[in-house]
This record gives sequence, structure tokens and C-alpha cells, in this order.
Amino acid sequence: MSESEPQTGHEAGDELEGRSFTGQSVRRFEDRRILTGEAEYIHDVTPPGCLEMAIVRSVHAHANIVDVDTSAAEDHPDCELVLTIEDLQESYNPQPCGLEGYEEWSLADGKARFVGEPIAVVVAADRYLAEDMADLVNVEYETLDPVVDGMDARESDTLVHEDAGTNVADNERIAFGDPDGAFADADHVVEGTYEWGRVSGVPLETAGVVAQYDEDGDSFHIDCNIQLHTLVDDTVYETLGRPADRVELNVPADVGGSFGTKIAIHRYCNLAAMAAEQLGRPVKFVEDRIENLQGGDMHCSERTYEMRLACDDDGTMRGLDVWFVDDFGAWPHYPVNQVLKPLSVLTNSYAIDDVVYEYDLVLTNKTAQTAYRGFGVDPHQYALEMLVDDAARELDIDPTEFRRRNLVTPDQLPYRIPSGNIYDSGDYPGAMDRMDEILDENERCEGGLLDPETVEQRREEGFYRGTQTAVLIEPGVSGSDWTDRQRTDDETIQNRSREDVAELPEHLRAEVKPDGTVLAWLATDSSGQGHQTLVAQLLADELGLLPSDIEVDYLDSVEAPTEYGSAASRMAVMLSGASVGVGRQLRDALAELAADHWGVDREAVSYRDGRVERSGTDDSLSLAELAELDDEARTHVSYDYEHPATGFPEFDDALTHKYPVYPTAAYAVNAPIVEVDVETGEVEVLKFYTLRDCGTMLNPMIVEGQAHGGIAQGLGAALMEEFGYDQGSGQPQAITMFDYLLPSTKNMPDIEMEHTSHPSPFTETGAKGVGEGGMIDAPAAIACSINDALEPLGVTADKLPFTAHRARKRLREAEE
Amino acid sequence: MSIEDTPHAEGRPTREISVTVNGEEVTREVEPRLKLSDFLRNECDLRGVRVGCEHGVCGACTVSLDGDTVKSCLLYAVQAEDLAVETVEGLAEDGQLHPIQEAFHEEHALQCGFCTSGFVMATKSLLEENPDPERDEIKEGLADNICRCTGYQNIYRAVDRAADKLSDDIEAVRTGADGEEGA
Ligand code: FES
Ligand code: FES
Repeated sequence: MSESEPQTGHEAGDELEGRSFTGQSVRRFEDRRILTGEAEYIHDVTPPGCLEMAIVRSVHAHANIVDVDTSAAEDHPDCELVLTIEDLQESYNPQPCGLEGYEEWSLADGKARFVGEPIAVVVAADRYLAEDMADLVNVEYETLDPVVDGMDARESDTLVHEDAGTNVADNERIAFGDPDGAFADADHVVEGTYEWGRVSGVPLETAGVVAQYDEDGDSFHIDCNIQLHTLVDDTVYETLGRPADRVELNVPADVGGSFGTKIAIHRYCNLAAMAAEQLGRPVKFVEDRIENLQGGDMHCSERTYEMRLACDDDGTMRGLDVWFVDDFGAWPHYPVNQVLKPLSVLTNSYAIDDVVYEYDLVLTNKTAQTAYRGFGVDPHQYALEMLVDDAARELDIDPTEFRRRNLVTPDQLPYRIPSGNIYDSGDYPGAMDRMDEILDENERCEGGLLDPETVEQRREEGFYRGTQTAVLIEPGVSGSDWTDRQRTDDETIQNRSREDVAELPEHLRAEVKPDGTVLAWLATDSSGQGHQTLVAQLLADELGLLPSDIEVDYLDSVEAPTEYGSAASRMAVMLSGASVGVGRQLRDALAELAADHWGVDREAVSYRDGRVERSGTDDSLSLAELAELDDEARTHVSYDYEHPATGFPEFDDALTHKYPVYPTAAYAVNAPIVEVDVETGEVEVLKFYTLRDCGTMLNPMIVEGQAHGGIAQGLGAALMEEFGYDQGSGQPQAITMFDYLLPSTKNMPDIEMEHTSHPSPFTETGAKGVGEGGMIDAPAAIACSINDALEPLGVTADKLPFTAHRARKRLREAEE
Repeated sequence: MSIEDTPHAEGRPTREISVTVNGEEVTREVEPRLKLSDFLRNECDLRGVRVGCEHGVCGACTVSLDGDTVKSCLLYAVQAEDLAVETVEGLAEDGQLHPIQEAFHEEHALQCGFCTSGFVMATKSLLEENPDPERDEIKEGLADNICRCTGYQNIYRAVDRAADKLSDDIEAVRTGADGEEGA
């Protein structure tokens, strides 16, 4: 098998009359400006008269702040401004984002709770000078013992927030079906403990903001690379104490990656905006990499799972019991989504009816979490697949066969899992079989990586090889109000009706320009996913134009309706649905305009290939001519594509109650071939086979690109990446890219990818979301392959990242 | 804002340097601690020089300095005095993408693009040394650059495509020059 080559390239501007662009690997619009160095990322934005900001940060994990002496800085001629917590409390508000009862200011208030927490800001002419000024600020601390371990924090007397009286910010136990019965009746109960290290997206571009204040309108214009700028703008305008329409967040067209993480950069937006208001001049802040890794509010899940699986002798999975602790760090940012999203794939690809899901969300003296590609689903998939491997071993059944016996079958789809979410389409056993075939043909044969003779020989040399397949589901397209529902009390939830559910559609606008080309406006921000290209190719099909006839721009947070935007793999589904809808709307508007012009009935005209024609005549009007006729902006249309679950009664119950609804289930069967050097503990992925289904592939090149990137991040999480902390002092151990290791070309094997396609019956175009794929499925797959490789030695990858150090430790323990 | 407009406090040291940047000589009065990456971005207005880590790991700031591939965040501007710097901005000619840029576009070897200029510059130096690299040599040659989006798969392909393209170009020049013989 070789990875499907992107189909013959279509340049966005190619003449391809009469052909469909949807489903083609149309080359991206975004590329040219990036390749020539003309792209404008937030780091490149510097308005005239702009000053720069630097931040004074806590050097302790936990300490009372006795005094912040700013006099030396303030006396210095190069210092433009110093802001401390007192200045903030005088004029602004705490920053919302998280659980009720935790009042977080943009600067530490009285106590520092993690290393790197901002304590003061200084502003000067440029960053070099601003850092000089920051050095002049003197902070006096009274250090406190830190709480460093998430499991210990539950019982610890040391509290991160004294007022809360506990370090457990939230916990819940949810039961589906009759788990007690299932566990009592089953022939076996298999238990396992699995740990997932703190990882994050670490986009190559750090956070940045340029804030400007307009005194006349008492309003702010804030350029920044925040993600979901129309959804999380409340974290900025509420902090600044202004109504939404006076705080304009504008995200540049070019953002250097986010992967979810940049939803939580509001602290920087707030501080730069406050400084800009105080000074009456633009203020810029660009986070440096050490700030980003150490205290940038951008770490993600750190979990310990204790799980149980109830099975019968014949290998039937009967019940699942999930319990975990998630260490959120100092503040509970975006907590509910993070711990509850796994409910949308609670039993992964297996048919299990009786399940318990329970968690403790704890606070410690570490950087607060944010979202990261997968939003908590990746650790769940990992832990569950580890448990399945352990159970197979205990039952003495081949792990692949054990999985196959429990898979949801094609005739059961759409399939409702116990927590209410519904998997739309697919063929899981078929995908498993196909992967088996691929491995047999390419690798389990003479000369292949898994040729039994080679495997045996390598083993004698101390290199253990293995691979394990599993079907991993990627829940796509979140969109309804389940975060709010989760925080609503049980009685209210009981009494809620379907009409109370707030939907989150996706908004798209389009207008015909005087030259007959079409300009579309996205309400969402992008960070490299190719949204502009996607909309152009779909709209071109709807309007019978070429993608090069479509231009795509972005709305800022004031212009755009408060929608949901780029999250949870929504965009392929939501933007394609919105493109079809807005295209239809525009065709109608143009036909009506032409009919009015000719003074005929609407039925007497029809839209075709970029023109409106009058039936029975040779009369026709081009888009440019129609634009000219249009004096009432009738060629400006907008459309909201409803969230796909809205139209399907199957989802009514889950939508009304408190569980997450993710109506698309893309999936992958992975077979990474790994080799473990038992001498050094080093794990190498020799090749990564993957078979994937995302329904309709709108742009195969972009789909594959997303999967490649996700798999690389998954490999990092499985083997290399981790924000470690010193257990005594709470000092972060990974604050440079020398310590937080990202996969490089040396770590990435060749990926062999094949696709199968079962279009979603729930979405307009049949597309399923794929933005989080790879990151969701690769860590579990790599861990299970390691389990297979080390089976003869009785070692499993029970803690990720399975670094060489950890592997050696496990191997040594096994020898003893 | 340029360093020139900076209201320096009394006594802050500066030094005048001249650097040839993409063929043009630039003379500026700079602080000795000014990083070459910041000099290129802020003084020369070259946005293609990206800064992802400022400690020499990510490679986003990769440029060529007198023919050597360097990370501009690890040098001070004063160290480039009298030397020639080439950045990604110097590659495209007459609005035509350089074959390496073209190959990155064709193979979808960029997503967010923040790493891209660094990769393009690193690829250029790799192909100058080894016009027809094997997969392992590509991996070795680009190991100093990090991309967080593409998983590198399409970057490998882009390098292959660029190598083919460049060798075709050389071939075309050769047969063009030896026209008679070739015919
Ligand atoms: S910015 Fe220079 S190597 Fe990262
Ligand atoms: S394309 Fe985003 S870092 Fe390489």
C-alpha cells in the first residue's frame, strides 16, 4: 500500500469548467503569501507609535506576595508604565473562564499559585527595554509549600485556594445502564491503572496581542491570535468592563498554529488592552517561548486512570468502570468540556451497555490547563485501549480477536452509546479486516518489518517489535450548549425541553463584487487548516464558478455573530454546510434580482454557471452585470448552517439532558510498527499504518495533512512530550524546547495511509470532522503496539509518555 | 517600531553595522545585544524570518549567512557585520515562486506556515549539498527544524519534488547551453 497521492493537482485558479471542485485536492489559497514571507502573523503587526510590554512572573510555585516594589522601574526614564494588581482592581474586573467561585485576575492577587504566574507588567519602547524595566521590579515573597501531585492534592492540607476549602474543584459520578449488575455477573473483572503525562499543542507561533484604545468611543481594537474569537471574547470584554460591541477582537488571517491552546490567551489580551488604555498608545505583547512553556496557561490534560472492565469467558465485554483524576493546575479553566467530552466516545468502538464514569478535577500549583486537540478524549482512548489489552491477556484471547468480538457492527449504525451520543456511519470490523490484509501483504511476509524470522532475530539482538490494531473513534462537531447544561442543577435539567436547547450554528456571508467575483466572510478564525480554500472550492461548485473567482475574508468579533467557530473538528462539516447554504441563497437572490429587472416571474429565470438566464430567450445576466443592477445590497446574503444534531430527533434526548453531542464519528484503525531497544528503553516507530474514514473527503490533500500532523502530535504525546514538575518545589522542568521535546524529522516514521468512506447521514455534505484525528488515536495505538512488542517480557506502556527512562524502569522491574 | 526611534537612555551602547541583506546593503546603528533575527524582522522589515523559540531549537528563524545555514536567533546582528544574509524573501524572482517554494505549495507541505520559511531555507541548503537526497538524508538534513502541523510527510515529498525540479532545470540549462550537441 502506498499513501494515496493527492489527486492531480488543481491550482485554485485552473480552468476546470463543468467539473466539481469538492472532493479534489485543490491547492491552498493561503500558501503563496506564506511562502514568500508576505504573510502577516500577529508577531508582524506593529502600528505606528507602538510600545511593548513585558511581564514580571512568579519564580515560586506557591507564595504569598508580600510586596511588589515598582519604584525603581517607575523612576527609570525608559519606563512608560507599570501595572500591578492594585491598578487592575481599581479599574477592571476579574477574568471569567472556568468554574464559579474562583476569582481570577489577570495578575496574581495576593498569592502566586504557579511558577510563571504574572505579577506585574511593564511597558517600554521595545521589548529589550521592557525586559530591562521588568528586572527592576522587586517582588517580596513568603514561600508556601506547593501541592504538586494531582492524586495527593485530593487529600492535602495545603490548599491552592483556601476559600474553596478543598483542592477538588469538581467531581461527578455518572452511571449508565446497570454497571453494578454487570460487574457482579461477569466471569472476570480486569483492573488497570494508567497515567497520562501533561502535554500540549505547543504551536510554533507563541501568543501575541496588539491592543489599541480609542478614547472618543471608549472602545478597544485588539489584534491577537486568540482562537474562537467570537466565542471566548467575553473573557476579554467582561474583564475590561465594556460591552461586547466596544471590544473588537481581530484575528489575523495567518495564525501560526493553535490546536485549541490559544483559546486561553485572554490574560495577555486583557493586560495589553489595560496598558493601552492607561497610556493612550498601542501596546504589543509577544510571549516568548520560555513564558509559553512555563506559565502560558496552555498545558493540557494530566490524568491518572483507574479502570475496570467486566468480561465473560467468551470474551464479551459486559461493563466498564472509568475513574480518573485530572490535574488542572492552579485555575479550573475550561474544565467541564475537558473531563466530559470523553462521554461522547465513552465505550469507543465497542458495544458495552453498562458503564460508570467518575472523575475528580483537582487543582495544584502548576500552570492552568487549556484545550488541546482532542480536549481530553485522547487520554480516555489511551486508557481504555490499555485496559482492553490487559483484559485480553488475562482472558488469554488474542487482543485483536477480543476487540473484533466486541465491535459495533455496520447493521447497528447509527449506534447510540450509553451516554446518549450517536455514531453516524462506518464499518469498524471491515476496517479491522482491511488493516489485517494490509499488514499481511506488506509486513508479515518475507522481507517485511513483521516477517516472523526478522522479528525473532531482532529479538535475539535485544530489539522487540510489535504492532496492535484497534478502531478508534473521533467525535466530531460539538455545537450545542452542553457546557451550560452540565453546570445547570439537576432539577432544571429534568424540566428542560428540547426547545430550551441553544444551538451553535456556523455563519457565512457572501456578496457579489462589482467585477462579478464573490467575496465570502468567515465568522471563524483559522490557524492553518485551509478554511479559505475549503469555502472557495465549495462555493465555486454551488455557483458554477472557479475557486479563483471566490475571495474569502474574516469577520472580527464585533461584526461576527457569537458563534462557535473553529473547535472540535467542526469546520469541515460546518463550513461546508454553510457554503452550500449560502451558495443556494445567493443563487436565489440573483435570480430574483434578474427577474425583477426583466419584469418577469421568478420561475421564468434560472441560475446557471455564473449567470442568470431567462427561459425561452437568449437573455442572460452575468454576476458583474447583476452586481451593477443591485442598488439595495440584494446580492449580499448570509446563512447559518444549523448544527447537524439539531435536525435529527435521535439526538433529542442527549441534547436536552446533560451529555455531550458530537454527531459525527470519524475513525481510524492504526497499526504503528514499533521496536523497543530493551537495553536503552528507546522506542522507535518504524512505520505508521493507518486506515481512516472521515466520510466525504472535501479536499483529500487537506484531510491527509490534518491526519499527518495529528499523528505526529500523538507520537510526541506517546513517547516524548511532557511538562514535568519537581515534586518538592513545584518548579517546572520543561521550560525550553530542549526539555519539552517535540517530534522532529528524526522521530517521525513514514506514514502509510489509506481511506475508506462512509459519508455521514447527519451532515449536509457527508463530511465528518477530522481536525483532532491522529492526536486522538495515535497515542493509544502506539501504546498498544508497545504492549504487543514487550508481551514476552510482561511489560506494558502504562504511563505516557513512555520515555526511554520509563521503559528502562519497567523493564528492570520486570526482570527482578 | 524601529530601533532608531527608540528613546535610548543615556549611555546605552550602540554600534554601526553594515550587512548585505538579500543583495542590498543595510547600515544601522544597533545595540550590540540586538539579535540578528530581530534585526532582520524589525530593521529590515523581513517578516519571513519567524521567531518560534529564540533558543535555537525550532529553526523558524533559519537564514543563510555568507552561504552557511544559521539560526538567526542565536546570533547578534553585530556578528553579521560585513556579511551577506539571504532570507526567504530573496527566493522568488519576478513574482515567480522558487522551485522549492513551488514544491512546498504543490505537496501541501505547509499548514499554519510559521515554520515554512525556515524549512524552505534549510531545504535549499540541503539540496545545494546533495541534489538528490534519499529519505534518510532528507530526515537528517531537516532535523534542525520543527514543524508542529504537517507531521513532515508532505515536507519529505516537497523536498523530493524540488530536487527533481531543480535537476530538470539544471538539465535544461545544460542542454540549452550545449544545444547543438544535444540535438
Ligand atoms: S527562533 Fe531561532 S531556532 Fe527557534
Ligand atoms: S506548518 Fe505549522 S509549524 Fe509547520
